[in-house]
Amino acid sequence: MKFTCNQTLPERAIHIALKGPDGACQRGDGSGCFIASNSATTPGDMTERGCTYAGCRGVVGGPVKDVIQLTHGPIGCAFFSWGYRPHLADSDFHMKYTFVSDMNETNIVFGGEKKLLQCIIEASNEFPEAKGVFIYNTCSTALIGDDGRDVAKQAEELIGKPVVFFECEGFKGVSQSMGHHVGNETIFRQLVGSVEPEGDFSRAINIIGDYNIKNDLRTFEYLFEAIGVKILTRFTGNVSVDELKIMHKATLNVVHCQRSATYIADMMRDKYGTPYINVTLWGIKHMSEALRATAAFFGLEAEAEAVIARELAAIQPKIDAYRQRLQGKTVFIYQGGPRAWHWIELLRELGMETMTAATTFGHDDDYQKIFDQLSPGALMVDNPNVPEIEEILRDRRPDLFISGNKEKYVAYKLGVPFVNGHTYDTGPYAGFVGMLNFARDIDKALHAPIWQTLRTRARPAPVAHHTSHGFEEVV
Amino acid sequence: MSYISKQERAVAINPTRSCAPIGAMLANYGIHGAITINHGSQGCATYPRHQMARHFREPVEVATTSLSEKTTVYGGKGNLLAALKNIVERFHPTLIMVCSTCLSETIGDDIPGVIDEFLDKHPEVTIPILSVKTPSYIGNHTTGFDNFLKEIANNLPERRKKKGETNGKINMIPGWVNPGDIRELKHILREMGLHGVWLTDYSETLDGGYYEPRPHVARGGTTIEELRSSSKSLATVALQRHVGGEAAHIYERRYNVPAHVLTMPIGLANTDALVDTLTEITDHPVPETLQVERARLLDALVDTHMFTTGLRVALYGDPDLLEGLVGLVAEMGMTPAYVLTAADNGPWGERMVELSEELGVESEIILKGDLHELHKRIKARPVDLLIGHSKGKFIADAERIPLLRVGFPVEDRFGYHRRAIVGYNGAIALVDEITNLIFERKASAVVSNTLLELGVEGPSNVPIAVCNGSAA
Repeated sequence: MKFTCNQTLPERAIHIALKGPDGACQRGDGSGCFIASNSATTPGDMTERGCTYAGCRGVVGGPVKDVIQLTHGPIGCAFFSWGYRPHLADSDFHMKYTFVSDMNETNIVFGGEKKLLQCIIEASNEFPEAKGVFIYNTCSTALIGDDGRDVAKQAEELIGKPVVFFECEGFKGVSQSMGHHVGNETIFRQLVGSVEPEGDFSRAINIIGDYNIKNDLRTFEYLFEAIGVKILTRFTGNVSVDELKIMHKATLNVVHCQRSATYIADMMRDKYGTPYINVTLWGIKHMSEALRATAAFFGLEAEAEAVIARELAAIQPKIDAYRQRLQGKTVFIYQGGPRAWHWIELLRELGMETMTAATTFGHDDDYQKIFDQLSPGALMVDNPNVPEIEEILRDRRPDLFISGNKEKYVAYKLGVPFVNGHTYDTGPYAGFVGMLNFARDIDKALHAPIWQTLRTRARPAPVAHHTSHGFEEVV
Repeated sequence: MSYISKQERAVAINPTRSCAPIGAMLANYGIHGAITINHGSQGCATYPRHQMARHFREPVEVATTSLSEKTTVYGGKGNLLAALKNIVERFHPTLIMVCSTCLSETIGDDIPGVIDEFLDKHPEVTIPILSVKTPSYIGNHTTGFDNFLKEIANNLPERRKKKGETNGKINMIPGWVNPGDIRELKHILREMGLHGVWLTDYSETLDGGYYEPRPHVARGGTTIEELRSSSKSLATVALQRHVGGEAAHIYERRYNVPAHVLTMPIGLANTDALVDTLTEITDHPVPETLQVERARLLDALVDTHMFTTGLRVALYGDPDLLEGLVGLVAEMGMTPAYVLTAADNGPWGERMVELSEELGVESEIILKGDLHELHKRIKARPVDLLIGHSKGKFIADAERIPLLRVGFPVEDRFGYHRRAIVGYNGAIALVDEITNLIFERKASAVVSNTLLELGVEGPSNVPIAVCNGSAA
């Protein structure tokens, strides 16, 4: 499998692999080796990847609802990471406000530590109701050697609230994945276990790695409660800083996003002996398995079966109706990491087959999980770039493309139906009831009349003709 | 009396501005077949792409040199050389613009030096490769746009072969505007029988159509040939002082092309100034079409004045946009009560004070301000209308004030990038929309074309007797 657009980029071949008819991995360079991942991007290849700051501020730290989200750096990092990812909560302080130390040239020359301290104090005076401060480091402040950890320590004494400094400067890793790691590590080190609450936590679990995109938690939180367990802390979605402090009390960690949050589950296992299970909270089979595995841990199997039976009775007829309409459609999933493997089964339950799966920052274990689930003839691409995505959309012609905001308009310009898997078109998509939303959005995307209009009525571009008024149609 | 105040906080809370690279990327989108390489962390390319996609709802492609920890220690030269090679070979662009970032500026990469080395190694590459300085810690998003235009003006135009050689065109520098604005400006020039060289023209590249098949290279954009000949134009007209004003002066100094730097043509008087300038430059009379449009704007201002006169308005955003908008706001009889910009730009503040006195309005001009500051002002003394980009929606929601979305970004509504706010037509659209926003806020009190609720200054406790036909 070779991409025409990669003729001048032979190094991309090892990031492309086809599942052969015999089920073997056929990598783009002709070797039988597994797909290469989590390595540096080819400069200038039009990657879709972001930076370490984005992974930490945007994904892991950003959803914490009652802290001042302060970027230590210039204005842009804060502006662009503000308010666009719908990691909702029961309050919206974290969505509405962004704080930045607004480093200017003088600060870069003379150092920004004093200014950072002043910023923390000012911000905390403006919003006394905030429960703490999260500070995210950026490229420039890391390079000039600002000691943010020390400033955070001073500030903590001055304002009497936790001040957490994330060393998530953008250049740190090969993708935003490094930012998830920094976020996990820092929250674990600084917050987890800092309070020892009294109480009975024998049936308390943490949901690890769910960011409550468009209120996903609402689709499964009640299911866990119905089987008799209580969710202590959601890492990180609709979560307060106080809940992060006590998450070590949980008896079990239920890990959803296994790329961005296994780190903290590992650290809790090592330090507190908290066991964890890996689950997928999307789709009928996986959601049921997640409830069963959780229930099995607590000896609540009968309760789980009752909940699953009740839920399936409610949604199965509707899912069946959608499957009739979606049967046989092919899908190209391109997500940040795990969703590319989380959804292969869900789509099968809707009668659809994933023929191309790609991730921005997946590691080897993500690709292994994708590969195991794919059918022969399906393609995997690691860290795909814009021309590759266009080539897949044009030549493999999936019926549906599931990806994010940036890729959406590429799909639309090529006439390919699209569902936003990052921030959801409507949502929530998780759990049993969320799957109906997902199915409805897919159905809407596939069967909207616009595609028929495009097929029958779209015309070629008029011959480009340069005039002093720009490009105009030749009359 | 209008006056200037300056926000003194160190921390910025809900800023109105973003950073320089996005400006250079946007400007480069207006050149046909050009590609941007952002020299820095991947986020410095990906974040602006996200932001532009949310505003324009178009595919936005920008390359990055993907600097990482190792390249940060040893310098980014190798990555930039590789990126240049990969972009040239894979995309065959007409021009490459390399913009810097905090990262590459702080580690001190010599971008022009690396470009020279690349061109030495690859004599077959003949396209222009520009380097634009855009660290985020200097200026804001408009700085990147402005720096890009300066690089264009300094590097691309060919010198006149003989004295007086002309292409008969006018260099038009609209500044940071929307595709719809560029199209409206083109309409004005076309009606006047004039020809423009647009610096730059993203009216189609960032507001493209659906074609089957998709064109290989996006339609639209100013060509390199046009930019080469821009030194032979009759004049340069820059419509924003801070985005392109300096480039216009470079054209005057280096190529003897007279510079006309105007206020952004929003509203009647500001648009008149543009049309008058074009008439002055070329002796072309004002055509009937534009005279009719102008009269229609006057008519719209007359029709709506009873609903707008006396309203207090808060405006925020980029200096040039605000300067233009204040003109229209005053023409509608409204008071620009708060005019807030992020820039710490004293001369602009003083000009705004003078302007508000000329217009007979009283304003507080807030420099170095952010939206949190504006919110506090509005809480202390309310306004009837907010004018600015989407990020003001939190104030609008909290205080239940209508928000007129203008500027960049407008990410929570559709189609604003297609609208024009410049020219007579742009002003007519704004007058209508502002009036309708006021109506909608008091929707229950609009009967036919009369507002039942009086006292538009602040909330009214008078019970509303009629609610669109039904009792309140």
